[in-house]
Amino acid sequence: MLASTLRHVFLALCILPGAISFKPHDFKTCSQSGFCRRGRGLAERAQAADKWVSPYSVDSGSLVFSPGKDSVKATVKSSLYPHINFELELRVHEDGVVRVRMDEVNGLRKRYDEAASWSLVGEPKLSKTVQWVHEKGQIRGLIGEVKDLEALISFSPLRVALIRNGREEVVLNGQGLLHMEHFRQKTFPVAEETESGEDAEPIAGDQTVLAAAGPDTRWFEGEREDAYWEEQFGSWTDSKPKGPESFSIDINFPSHGHVYGIPQHATRLALPSTAGEEPTYSDPYRLFNADVFEYLASSPVSLYGSIPLMHAHSAESTIAVLNLVGSETWIDIQYPSESSTNTHWISESGIIDIFLLPGPTASDVFQQYARLTGTPALPAEWSLGYHQCRWNYVDSNDVRDVQKRFDEEDMPLEVLWLDIEYSKDHKYFIWDEKSFPDPVEMVQDVEAIGRKMVVIVDPHLKRTNDYPVYKKASELQVLVKPASGEGEYEGWCWSGSSSWVDFFNPASWPWWQSLFKIEGDSDEWHWSKSTEGVFIWNDMNEPSVFNGPEISMPRDNIHYGGWEHRDVHNINGMLFQNQTSKALLARSTPAKRPFVLTRSFFAGSQRFGAMWTGDNMGTWEHMAIGVPMVLSNGIAGMTFSGADVGGFFGNPDPEMLVRWYQVGIFAPFFRAHAHIDTKRREPYLLEEPHKSIVRKFLKLRYAMLPVWYTAFREASVTGVPILRPQYVVLPKDKNGFAIDDQYYIGKGLLVKPVVAPGVSQISVYLGEDQVYYNYFDHQVYRGSAHGSNVSVPAALDQIPLLRRGGSIIATKERPRRSSPLMKNDPFTLTIALSNTGYAEGELYLDAGDDFSYQSGEIVWRRFTAEVFKSAKALSIRNADMVPGHQNDAVDGVSLTNYDRENAFARSIKDVRVERIALLGLPWKPKGVKSQAGVELDWTYAAGVASTGTKEGTASVLVIKNPPVTITGTWAITIQE
Amino acid sequence: MLPLPLLLTLALPVRAEPPHVFGVRPALAPLYTPICSKTPPTWKCLDGSLEIPFSAVNDDYCDCPDGSDEPGTSACPNTTFYCRNEGHLGAVIPSSRVRDGLCEPECCDGSDEPEGLCPNKCEETGREYREQVEAERKLRKTGSKIRSTYIAHAQKEKKRLEKELVSIEAEIAERQAEVDKLKAHKEKTESISAATMELKKQSPLYFSLITHSKALKSFQRVHKKLKERERLLGDILTGLRDGYNPNYQDMAVLEAVRGWEAAEGLPPKGSEDDDVVVNSPAEEEELEEGAWTEGQLEWQLNDLINQDYLDLLLQHETYLESLEKPSLLHDLSSYIPDSIRPQYESVRDTLISTLQSVGLIKGGSNEVTEEANRARIAFEDAEKRLRESSENKEDTEQELGRLFSAEGFGKSGEWKKLQDVCLEKDTGEYIYEVCLFGSAKQKAKTGSHSNLGDFSHWNTQFSTDDPQYYSKQYYTGGTRCWNGPERSLTLHLSCGTENVLHSVSEPEKCEYHIVGQTPALCLPLEIEENPKVEL
Repeated sequence: MLASTLRHVFLALCILPGAISFKPHDFKTCSQSGFCRRGRGLAERAQAADKWVSPYSVDSGSLVFSPGKDSVKATVKSSLYPHINFELELRVHEDGVVRVRMDEVNGLRKRYDEAASWSLVGEPKLSKTVQWVHEKGQIRGLIGEVKDLEALISFSPLRVALIRNGREEVVLNGQGLLHMEHFRQKTFPVAEETESGEDAEPIAGDQTVLAAAGPDTRWFEGEREDAYWEEQFGSWTDSKPKGPESFSIDINFPSHGHVYGIPQHATRLALPSTAGEEPTYSDPYRLFNADVFEYLASSPVSLYGSIPLMHAHSAESTIAVLNLVGSETWIDIQYPSESSTNTHWISESGIIDIFLLPGPTASDVFQQYARLTGTPALPAEWSLGYHQCRWNYVDSNDVRDVQKRFDEEDMPLEVLWLDIEYSKDHKYFIWDEKSFPDPVEMVQDVEAIGRKMVVIVDPHLKRTNDYPVYKKASELQVLVKPASGEGEYEGWCWSGSSSWVDFFNPASWPWWQSLFKIEGDSDEWHWSKSTEGVFIWNDMNEPSVFNGPEISMPRDNIHYGGWEHRDVHNINGMLFQNQTSKALLARSTPAKRPFVLTRSFFAGSQRFGAMWTGDNMGTWEHMAIGVPMVLSNGIAGMTFSGADVGGFFGNPDPEMLVRWYQVGIFAPFFRAHAHIDTKRREPYLLEEPHKSIVRKFLKLRYAMLPVWYTAFREASVTGVPILRPQYVVLPKDKNGFAIDDQYYIGKGLLVKPVVAPGVSQISVYLGEDQVYYNYFDHQVYRGSAHGSNVSVPAALDQIPLLRRGGSIIATKERPRRSSPLMKNDPFTLTIALSNTGYAEGELYLDAGDDFSYQSGEIVWRRFTAEVFKSAKALSIRNADMVPGHQNDAVDGVSLTNYDRENAFARSIKDVRVERIALLGLPWKPKGVKSQAGVELDWTYAAGVASTGTKEGTASVLVIKNPPVTITGTWAITIQE
Repeated sequence: MLPLPLLLTLALPVRAEPPHVFGVRPALAPLYTPICSKTPPTWKCLDGSLEIPFSAVNDDYCDCPDGSDEPGTSACPNTTFYCRNEGHLGAVIPSSRVRDGLCEPECCDGSDEPEGLCPNKCEETGREYREQVEAERKLRKTGSKIRSTYIAHAQKEKKRLEKELVSIEAEIAERQAEVDKLKAHKEKTESISAATMELKKQSPLYFSLITHSKALKSFQRVHKKLKERERLLGDILTGLRDGYNPNYQDMAVLEAVRGWEAAEGLPPKGSEDDDVVVNSPAEEEELEEGAWTEGQLEWQLNDLINQDYLDLLLQHETYLESLEKPSLLHDLSSYIPDSIRPQYESVRDTLISTLQSVGLIKGGSNEVTEEANRARIAFEDAEKRLRESSENKEDTEQELGRLFSAEGFGKSGEWKKLQDVCLEKDTGEYIYEVCLFGSAKQKAKTGSHSNLGDFSHWNTQFSTDDPQYYSKQYYTGGTRCWNGPERSLTLHLSCGTENVLHSVSEPEKCEYHIVGQTPALCLPLEIEENPKVEL
């Protein structure tokens, strides 16, 4: 007895090391997932078959056009199940996006068809100009003003293609892998005489011989009913009351050799193959939001969020596919040739709702995607500052002390974060009064320096009646239900025995929003011990359930409307962030911009706030993979993203920490975080020289805040990411398509973070015939049309950061303790002349934390520097960017009544331009004059010109204290 | 704020300052003089790197690489601004705080912000500051009186220890003499019996005894090791049970905890009677007749192993001889008629002793070896006593050494009084106990406790002459945390009239910080507390 117990205990001890690393047995591989097995099996049979024809075809007589001719519906049948009806619908949007939907009609049950209603920002506008051409065996929809785009439906077998200028850009079911498993009755195997007269042995478990009725389906669906009605994983059983309902489809890009997207995975930006010859990964990419503990740094394993959007790129075009499904999805990718890509998508439930985004440029794709799922919300300007987090700052004096230490070290700091330990017994909102006796005063002490706090609120509610939040949720019956559909699902999370709010239930929304009120209804509990300086972190919303299958909820749990958790799993996390962000909006009058950080996300989450890449590790590998992960999130809409600086787990050495800060300052979301078991590593704790290096780079982030904010405006209107990969910026440069360790910030800066130890020099790829300048010492590097690699200094106190020739950026070179304190500081304009002697740039400013920008209270300037050969002069100008751009200045509104002297502009009318630096001027000026003809104060350091082929330090002209403001329209002339 | 030390010099009398020295520390003001030989006048950056027009000083534009031309504005990052704070003490703030819209508490004169934004509060701040300084002086004065009694205590201790040392030395001399005497005796007896003993040691019984003893010793060692390992694993599992974090999301951990609870008969964690043993895990074993219990094994095995086997051998022989039938010669008397027996016996005894003395028959050597043995034991006892005295001397000397050392009780011995003084802080869930210079504990209200470490060292980041050196005590090597480091404690102390602990925190897992006060840190007022003030 004792011996066996001890053996058990020793066994547990042996297992312990495994507890601190990724545990593959916690998560399914494709072969452990019934529907993925079926989907892949189908593809394998197709591969092996001599002849393979999709059983699905369109009934050509069933075509029905909508009154506006924007869409067409048709009946689809599978030759395997002639009595089952499917409906195919093809809709053409105003911007050329083609939406392909397919659902079972009049089936035994209804498939989940609401993913789009959560994900899309609104009902897309349909095209009024489609021309349909009905030919034998196919129908063609001609799209666009010049009809260069075409949607083609072939009838038998069913095949859908998007064609531009005669070239097939994307093809659905071209390989015949389309399969939508119809709802069926559960049949029980009975021992009976079969046709051959032999006794059939009933096969145990979930594998039963298909009943032989109607056409032979085995060539297509396989020999056995594999996991149709029940599925085991570990100690969990997934009851599948609806039976098989998965769908799979091949989506091929015959002329695109690179695909990107489908975040989130810890992998390269250009997605490595999972199928075909010698695939990089043996499993498909998985989209199934999961709390993966200490995830691997290169893997197709699913992580916290899922965006089923894939970009396909070639030198000719960029297009994309959005497969809007909320259930678990697996994606195989193979590259049959250097210039083509085949993908195979397998989902557990839901309807087919695929959007073909025709591009043809990356920026078109971003806009098309933004029109569907919304643009990233314009964040509060302060949220672009530095966020300091730790699990946990242990009490209110600890928070005050951390703030004090930052100030003593003159290190900028914007936000102090509190992880779960602030709350009593992990009952979120409820302060642990022993450690946080004075939460409001504590927050006010932080706010006194212009700063904010972010406090965590998770979706699991401790099941105890002394927790008013749980009690009310229980009363309102807005908690997720167990498979029985009755009562409350109970699982295990931080707070012990917990239940989960079902945000699919509209009744939860007003209640959830009321919780965040500071002064609310006195009868109902609300967060009175809070301030408008407190913002929210939504974690664990995959949802993470410690004792659930795959650390999440059982798939047969029941949500609002009777839908199973499997139908909505990947959407679940987005709804939580959505409602929290609405709660923060409703908290203040007039409304302030919310800030809600989420871990889980879906297509559309960009409308609700920021995300981070979850619980990364303090290793160089994780630091390195964080870069492509953030790029990948960015191209899929989640532009406000970042990886935790320092790594969540482990104790990074000083060199690693310094490099990680250098990565962090060039990520849209810049937060340092640490696990409770780690040593403290706030930057002020570093020894010299590391401390001063980090201080320098924190200040660089603050100096560059106007650059970041300007890029965020653009993202919020056009959907273009803040961090732009090589293929987005230089779409024709093939050598850059797979590059993901360097990227552009906005239009004018190129950065390549150092993510390895012992580096002193690094090679940066310049994929265009343009001049680049080192941000710090103005060294000139020259790219070429075929691409060239240049060597850039990258010692520990250096970052390879280059200005792109032709850019002008505005910075504030007086970094302060927090961003609001910099409001009235003067600007520095730095002009990096292009190899043709030209440069331009822009600057966007507004009040920063409210919605006055939507009524035109903005400053949006355009700067240019241009050589006028005739006048032998170079002219620098500052012009108002809004006129002519009233419709795309801010998102969603037209600023027809824009007044350049709006209240915000007036509030900063005295803000000067203290310095103009001009790099690469080919000649020494004779004079520098203001518009009024007054000679200005300037210095010129001779050096290399932007034009020509010389390398070396660029010439630098500095104009000191010119008599101009940032909001003013002016010109300064430099005479040759 | 420490990195920006308040200047202790009193501000200069009120006078309007010229704009170019705005924000300049008084000591540096003479450096802000124009070079008037040039027209317009110029000025050299303090690092000498650049000559700029004098009008460019404090013109809100950073010209100098070292930032020295903008002492009064925020134009040059990473420089400092001096506020004069007339009526209070001047102060230095980073340039990043100049004109940022916030009134710096350090600049009570409001000079860091534009006119009118921040009221001049220096009169009030100065008064409060002086009051505070006065209060601190008073505290220090009272505290330093207590401290001087500590020092007196240390002096007394010194005298006591020195006296003790003298007496120990006398004792050592005495015991050394005893050892010398006994050693001589031992050697003498041994030389007689050595040969005999060697012979006896050939006995198979003795040989076997030694083998048994060795085997027992080995078993004991292995047993001890296993016990130790079992205890360690038990500690790990108890630590796991007490401190495991559900974040590990690991059913293996949960099962380990449950398995441990079952094995130890502990109630499931979190239940009402947590930490109360519900049933004894060790089932009553039926012992074989005469078999040792675990307790006996623990306590009596040593005695068995450490027996003097030689002595045992000798005893054994004596015993055997007492049983042995006397030899024919011895036994002959039974055949002798009673009448002549007395004469016979007298003759026989003479004969035997003669034979023995010439070695023809065996017998009587036991007395020799026993005496040698006794001599040896007496000598060893004496040696032990001497060693004790020497150790005692070393301890006393060490204590004397620690008494006035920076590593120990301070150069004036002011901490000696606090040796083994135990202070407590009740935080609700736990009571923290620090026995100064001893060990620190976290005692749960349920009765269990964790060791937070033993006194290890002072704050060696500072030199021993710096009062800061004595402001922190480090206790290290406490009970290891599950999945974490050994527990440790940093005790932050400052001057106060009582020895008291104020607050406890655990900023990192298993690294505790306790803030407290003690009179031992109240330096007399005449000693400058912060000798290195930057001017």
